[in-house]
Amino acid sequence: MKRSISAEWLKLRHSRVGLILAVLPILSWLIGCANYYFNQGVLQNGWYSLWTQVSLYYGEFFLPILIAICCSYVCRLEHQNRNWNMILASPVSVGNIFLAKLIVVSILILFAQVLFMGLYLLAGTLFPIHEPFPIETIEWALRGWYASLSISALQLGLSLRFRSFATPIGISLCAVLIGLGMYIAKLGLFFPFSLLTIGMSVLSQDKLTDIQNILFWVMNMVFIITFVSMSIRRLKKKDIVSS
Amino acid sequence: MINTLGLEYFKIRRKKIWIMITFFIAAEMLWAFMSTSMSIARNPDHAVWESIFFSISSMNGLFMPIISAIVVSRICDMEHKGATWKMLVATNVSRDRLYAAKYICTNSLLLYGILAQTILMIAFGLIKDFPGGPPIDLLTRFLGGTMLTTLAVTALQQWISMAIKNQAFALCLGMLGGFIGMTAGLFPAIARHLFIWSYYLELSPVTFLYAESSSTYMVQPMGLGIVVAALMMTFLFYIAGNIHVSRQEI
Repeated sequence: MKRSISAEWLKLRHSRVGLILAVLPILSWLIGCANYYFNQGVLQNGWYSLWTQVSLYYGEFFLPILIAICCSYVCRLEHQNRNWNMILASPVSVGNIFLAKLIVVSILILFAQVLFMGLYLLAGTLFPIHEPFPIETIEWALRGWYASLSISALQLGLSLRFRSFATPIGISLCAVLIGLGMYIAKLGLFFPFSLLTIGMSVLSQDKLTDIQNILFWVMNMVFIITFVSMSIRRLKKKDIVSS
Repeated sequence: MINTLGLEYFKIRRKKIWIMITFFIAAEMLWAFMSTSMSIARNPDHAVWESIFFSISSMNGLFMPIISAIVVSRICDMEHKGATWKMLVATNVSRDRLYAAKYICTNSLLLYGILAQTILMIAFGLIKDFPGGPPIDLLTRFLGGTMLTTLAVTALQQWISMAIKNQAFALCLGMLGGFIGMTAGLFPAIARHLFIWSYYLELSPVTFLYAESSSTYMVQPMGLGIVVAALMMTFLFYIAGNIHVSRQEI
């Protein structure tokens, strides 16, 4: 397993994926900060108001698409030059290959989340916001990362299935909209993309009740297990289409 | 040229790109119609044709750059994946023609999406019983403005998608475009005019005037300068992309 993960890392070297991972959180942060700066008269809840501004675009739209891009990216090489044939002929189980990709994507998203939190802290310090830093925002970022795992599992399955780089990203865009609808309809706990909205407290900073909190963690785990097992099963049972 | 264009359509016949565009547009329109309906429920004065024009134009700022990026990427990526670009340029068809055929093919698909949007807007207005018949002049301006902006966006996307094999960059650019298009209203006018993605709102026939007491939709006059700027960007992106891709070593 360790060797599979390091092989995935090896494939990412010189890929400049870090650039893609950094650009979107930075832009979301810049716009959120500008919005906060010009509306400080209305946004008077300190760190929490800043969170609503910086996390809105990032958590609602760009993080899910960033996850989709990362997943397509880690599957890109396999779809080229008949690499699937080589990978599936190697003495590594398909489960290992899939899990290694999932772990690598999760590390990349964790990097994006850490960067986002660093920028949030920097913005609050520079404005400056005099209240103490709210520890629960770290919990929100971690919950967002955990919710991103179920989306990653789904997107990885799609990226392995479709040879096109863009198709899974397009599906992710549609899913973002469905997720927003599910969240508004109070059915957010049953859809991975809405779970991200809930986890990161993007649209509502109200504390989750104990039951909601448990449901959040359980539902995500259910989604992760389901998507991972479906994808591994598909890899085992179906023929690979390689160029 | 017709033959080259026909072959582009032939290559994508099983890619179901038009179905994908239909899904995207359907999701966008559903969202726009829901938000407009909610706005009308809160304020019955908003039950006018202008409301739907503004709503769709502002959402296009987010969606169209991403949809364009995806469509262009799919049409260009097949040449990278199959290593067929070098085979194509080895035929007796010039690279300019191949590049133009891809550009026309992409934009014809996106035109289908914009036409679908227009028809759905008319249907929504008639269902909601907006006063007066469908405003043909506004519809024409909406179609023209959205298509003109899309032409420039696809020219830029095609340049990136053809020049850089790794489609992550092209899609990231599409996402950045969507982000700028969505937040365009927050920028000052000078900054807005620099980014092509904000032209979905700039070339919209309707704008929204925010006031403390009441906010209203207003038909905005077509700015000739904006149209010229969009045309120039289209021309620049297309020519630069064409020259770069044609001279690039494969």
